[in-house]
Parts: sequence; structure tokens; C-alpha cells
Amino acid sequence: MVSNSVILCYRKIIDDRSGGWEKLLHSDTHEELKLQFQFFSTGNTYHLFSELVHADNRAEKLHFLVSAAAKGYIAQLNGKLPDIKNNLGKSFLTFSNYRFEIIESDTRNVNRHIIAINFFSNPLTWHATVGDYLLLSDNQADENRVLLHQLLLQPFLSIYSMQKL
Amino acid sequence: MERKAFLKNSIAALGMGFIAPLTPACKKSDITDDNTGGGSGDCIVAPTETAGPFPTKNPSAFVRSDIRDGRTGYLMTATITIGQVSNSCAPLAGAIVDIWHCDAEGNYSEYGSTQMQSANYTDVHFLRGRQVTDANGQVKFTTIFPGWYSGRATHIHVHIFNAAGNSLKITQIAFPEGSGSAVSAVGGYNKGLNGYTYNANDNIFSDDRNGVQIATVTGNTTDGFDLKIQLNVS
Repeated sequence: MVSNSVILCYRKIIDDRSGGWEKLLHSDTHEELKLQFQFFSTGNTYHLFSELVHADNRAEKLHFLVSAAAKGYIAQLNGKLPDIKNNLGKSFLTFSNYRFEIIESDTRNVNRHIIAINFFSNPLTWHATVGDYLLLSDNQADENRVLLHQLLLQPFLSIYSMQKL
Repeated sequence: MERKAFLKNSIAALGMGFIAPLTPACKKSDITDDNTGGGSGDCIVAPTETAGPFPTKNPSAFVRSDIRDGRTGYLMTATITIGQVSNSCAPLAGAIVDIWHCDAEGNYSEYGSTQMQSANYTDVHFLRGRQVTDANGQVKFTTIFPGWYSGRATHIHVHIFNAAGNSLKITQIAFPEGSGSAVSAVGGYNKGLNGYTYNANDNIFSDDRNGVQIATVTGNTTDGFDLKIQLNVS
């Protein structure tokens, strides 16, 4: 059987309906957006993120600049990728890399602030696919018996990259 | 209550725990035991593992004095004083001051517009930080002496906001040059100073005839450097 090493990407969408720590991150990143927006536009010319990017492509930098407010929240996850669980209901994915993304925002209205955090998992071995489930394993030294995670393919979760082993 | 809704509410309560006393709904005794055979209402199955981690409120991660995040170079303490021209340049307290600069190799922490480009969460914001001015209008950062890149003199970017978050000024700090200067002592780190752009030829600083953007920099490569400058806003 040919195995591949894969990196999964989980795109976690956060909007005004989000609760818990996501709500805190939502409001803090909106506050940060209001500060950083002025780097590209002062006054009342623009309020929407999409308008600003259309007028000045350099405003794409806001994804990164606003992520400063997400920094503390991401760090508190301690490298554990949230939400996604294996078929036993257990979290098992870890991450080191992420990308903060502004989907749309309005400096006047926090309710129109929609963001995403793209979590990139640490590499896993993908052995096979059974039904809708990926058979994955952490990189393990013992090749005689491999302990597997079964992971359901689901919306906002995709295979980001692959490398033949 | 749906399990999902219960989890969401619990998470909300946990998340707010650091800024408000825990609500009665979050008491341990409220977590229902397992094996209740799928009852209704609030009788729900407890999670089989510790759900989480759930970050707590942390709006201040970017507010920090040490902005190095592991970047190596000659230690530098930057003290920036914000003055208000409309108040005879008296210190402005409560102003928000963001700074950012490149590392010893001349690279900034940032990712571009490539949609799927990612960065490591532990150091993605290296050499960037925010402080709020004290009663003396001062902020202090611990950082490294910046490197340089083609086309620019050594510099630090600064964005100053008032306490309400309104942008007051976006500017840059320049460094003194010549023999005995920190720029010459550091010597451009491993790059050397071949091809270095001096202030007089720098697009940003060449019009600064009075040197108001040039900081005072003392110290040496052994003990580190001290940078001091007053930046005035209108």
C-alpha cells in the first residue's frame, strides 16, 4: 500500500453568531481592524474591508496586521487544533502554522465582521480511505502495527498538501 | 437542551470566567453524569474528554515590551516619548504606540496576499509590538538593533493612535550615522554595509533637514544599545 504524508487545513469561520472564546476573538479582532484600517484609509471614505482592498490592494496586509489581536488566543490553544475530532470523538490534530483571514468587515458594525482562522495540521500519514473516512496515523516509529485515526471528510476541512512516503 | 447548545453555553461561561465571577451554571455539580439513557431537557451526557483548550480573554497579547520572539541580534532598548504640539509638546499620556522593524537579515514578520500562505503561531509577529504611553508620554520596547535591506537606511516604523484609537501619525525613526555611531558599530550584521543606503539618500529621510526623525542612540555591541526619541503629534 502506498502511504502519503498529508497536511490538513481546517478553515474555522467566526462571525457574530459565534460564542465562547471565538466571540472574544471576534470582538478583539474587530477592534484591531478599526485601528489598522487607518493605515490605509482615514476619514469616512471606506468602511468595508472589501471596498478598501478594491481601492488599494496593499490593504491585503490587513489579514496579517489584524492577526496581532488573534495572537494570544491562538497561542493558548497550545498547538492543539480545535473542533475537529476523530470517529471516537477525540481531538487528535496538532498544528504549528495558521493563517488569519478577514472574509469581510465593516469598521462601523461589529456584526458584519466575519473572519476565518485557517489551521494547518502537523503532517500525518494517510494510509487509505474507507467510505467517507480517512485512515490517518501520527508519524510512528513502529511500522509493524500502526494505530489509526478515522477522520470524516467534512465541510471546511480539506487536504492541504501531500507528499509521497 | 441540545448537547451542542449546552457545550456552547459552557464554553461561553468558561471563556468569560477571567473577567467575571463564574456563574452558578458553571458549577461542577451541574455537569450531568453519563449513562442516563438519553434523557430530555438539561439531562445530557458529559463530554468523554476534556473539551478544549478554550482560550480566555486576551486582548493584550500584542501589547508587550519585549518584541524579540527569539530573533537574535544586538540588544536594544527603545524609549519613545510622544509629545503633543497643541500642548507645547507636553507628554501625551494614554497614546497607543505600535512599532515594527526588520530583523538582523532585513526581513519583516508578515505574510503577503498569497491565500494559503501560513506562518508559525509562536513567532509570526516577531519585532512588532504595542505599548500605551505612561504619564511621561513614554513607551519602552526591548528589541534588537534592526538590520537593513536594499534601498533603505536603518529604520523603525511607528504608528501612533490616541487613546480612542484614532490614528495620529504614521512615521519612521532614523538612526545617526558616521564614525562611532551604532550603525557603524553593528556594521550591518553579516551583510556588512556594502550597498547600504544612508539617510541622505533614503527616500523617506532625505527631506528631514532638521533631523527630527533621527534618534539618539548610545551604547555598544557588548552591553547593547539605548535608543531615545521624542515624536510629536499635532
